[in-house]
Amino acid sequence: MAEQNGGGSVLTKKEFVSDQEVRWCPGCGDYAILSAVQGMMPDVVDKRENMVFISGIGCSSRFPYYMNTYGMHSIHGRAPAIATGLATARPDLTVWVITGDGDGLSIGGNHLIHAMRRNVNLVILLFNNQIYGLTKGQYSPTSEIGKVTKSTPFGSLDRPFNPVALALGAEATFVARSLDVDRQHLTSVLKAAAAHRGTSFVEIYQNCNIFNDGAFDLVAGKEHKTENQIRLEHEKPIRFGANNEKGIRLSGRASVEIVDVEQAGEENLIVHDVHREDPALAFMLAHIATGPTMPTPIGIFRDVDRPVYGEEMERQLSVAREKLGVGSVEKLLTSGDTWEVA
Amino acid sequence: MTARLLEGSEAIAEAMIGAGCRFFAGYPMTPFTEVLEHMARLLPGVDGVCMNAESELEAIGMAWGAAATGTPAATGSTGQGLSLMQESLAEITLARLPLVVLNMARAQGDYFQATRGGGHGDYRHIVLAPIDVPEAVELVSLAFDLTFRWRNPVLVFGDYYLAHTAQSVDFRPPARADHDLGWALDGRSGGSGQAKLVSPLGGFKRKDQSGYNLATHYASCAAATAEMVAGVTPLADVGFIDHAEVVVVAFGTPGRYVRAAVRALRADGVPVGYVRPVTLFPFPSEAVARACEGARRVAVYENNQGQMIDDVRLAVLGRSPVDFIGGLSLDSSGFGIAPDLDVQVLRARIEEVFTK
Ligand SMILES: Cc1ncc(C[n+]2csc(CCOP(=O)(O)OP(=O)(O)O)c2C)c(N)n1
Ligand code: SF4
Ligand SMILES: [Mg+2]
Repeated sequence: MAEQNGGGSVLTKKEFVSDQEVRWCPGCGDYAILSAVQGMMPDVVDKRENMVFISGIGCSSRFPYYMNTYGMHSIHGRAPAIATGLATARPDLTVWVITGDGDGLSIGGNHLIHAMRRNVNLVILLFNNQIYGLTKGQYSPTSEIGKVTKSTPFGSLDRPFNPVALALGAEATFVARSLDVDRQHLTSVLKAAAAHRGTSFVEIYQNCNIFNDGAFDLVAGKEHKTENQIRLEHEKPIRFGANNEKGIRLSGRASVEIVDVEQAGEENLIVHDVHREDPALAFMLAHIATGPTMPTPIGIFRDVDRPVYGEEMERQLSVAREKLGVGSVEKLLTSGDTWEVA
Repeated sequence: MTARLLEGSEAIAEAMIGAGCRFFAGYPMTPFTEVLEHMARLLPGVDGVCMNAESELEAIGMAWGAAATGTPAATGSTGQGLSLMQESLAEITLARLPLVVLNMARAQGDYFQATRGGGHGDYRHIVLAPIDVPEAVELVSLAFDLTFRWRNPVLVFGDYYLAHTAQSVDFRPPARADHDLGWALDGRSGGSGQAKLVSPLGGFKRKDQSGYNLATHYASCAAATAEMVAGVTPLADVGFIDHAEVVVVAFGTPGRYVRAAVRALRADGVPVGYVRPVTLFPFPSEAVARACEGARRVAVYENNQGQMIDDVRLAVLGRSPVDFIGGLSLDSSGFGIAPDLDVQVLRARIEEVFTK
């Protein structure tokens, strides 16, 4: 097939669909995310061979099979480390990581924070279903306190991670949240994530209809979404509710609070600014909900410019070349004192 | 006998609790997951703690911490998870701590990992490989005895079949020896006025005995390992070896199928015998050598590409040729269900050895 290089892509969604049989449970939220990603791929790369999907292990991590691009289905939790190596060795490639709440936040938590801290040029999609799907339903680091599963028959005791707050704490330069069920929102967030240079972290609420059905209904479901979705939009006052009657403002106590707009006055609401250097306000917004059962912000929390790891590496290498001259392997191997041995 | 029908994972969980285990940590992985889930359900009822860790690295770390207090502790996983545990396992051995570790493996490719260890340094583990659920119950109990007797981790090597087969089990109350826990971090100083240290780098805080001297500490660990290796009785299950021309060696679940194939061949008058190492380390070399003494050929069946065969060859020491009749056999899930584990298949392979 003719694939045009530069000057606009001729690829369509169809070309990013692989011939593999998709092996997720019928009704799983992963299908919608797959379709959204395939649909926006022509906007991301103009050649399929320049695109790499790297995953760990989990239902979500089966993703690379279904993308007609390069892919690595690696080991549990390690995708961010593998992606760091790949993206740094080949800065010309577009590298996306697919991970789950278990893969990325339990066994792979360490790798995830360090990829974000380094600002490696990656897009990381964390499919959060608040459960271990593949191993048949144990609680995960995003499950709510008291979660009863077969490994926590008396209810879990652990306070869950807030993935957005975690990413902000790890200094991620692009942090967003979206939903499997909202194709339009998800696509726009994914496009922004793709356009960002450095690490883009996107948490996607994903329904696991087998082991944790309805976990996001209060935020994602038709019935409650208007009252519980706080849509973050750049340069706009943060408002939500059926009639946009609620808003968010700074409370006097170094925190943010939900207020009635009419009483508080629109001019007192926070005007969302994704480019704010200081992540403190984004962090406060991330904490306005303790879980997806109450008004919860979705959208882009942060999008700032920082040096990208691979570019910094390239800069160091060129400085070294300038100082030391272009190296020669032969010179290296015969450097220092040498002896002729009879 | 009060028999109960139990699936292996549940029987193993109950056996651990019966043997005194009061701390368990693990991370889900097929086919190990159900052991963790049963421990999570059962341990609180006996004042024990079960933790669903965030990975195998943490699971063994948690178990290490519990073990240091003298609490009978265990952890486990499946081969991949055991790979992650190797650093800790090696260091726990050098810290001279008791710990029972389960590998509900996928097939038998982890024989080397279990018997040689994938960690660093000069250490060994006792390895027990049950053939079925009732034997697993016995060996789990033995594992706790051995781990406290030698203050050295003990591995129990099972598989998908063991974890997921239901069999009738007779639980006898285990006769537990009182273990000396003088070394444990129990919150008391034992009247010596000296703080205790449990560490892979030495057992003393001050320069009173070995102090911080790795040469002395590692030498004492090596001596303890040598004493353990000499002191543990290797176990083997031997059958049909009278006038056997061919002796077949297998361990774990495949042992059941090999034993059935050998029995069927014997019924047809074929002179074939069978030996099954129960302790994979220390390997029952003498028992294997004795069983194979009169044999013209020795055959080894393993569900891997040939690992235990090295130990069989070392036991037989060239007295008879050793043929490999195994090979990796998996269904598409990769969890260790083996199409080759079929008495007809095994019969045919054994019969072929007779033609050599
Ligand atoms: C070292 C290791 N330990 C355990 C497992 C078993 N395992 C596979 S996926 C998984 C959790 C998956 O949860 P998550 O990342 O949330 O993905 P989901 O299936 O929910 O998409 C576990 C525990 C493994 N594959 N490797
Ligand atoms: S178990 Fe849950 S997450 Fe996994 S494929 Fe099925 S529905 Fe999706
Ligand atoms: Mg999950």
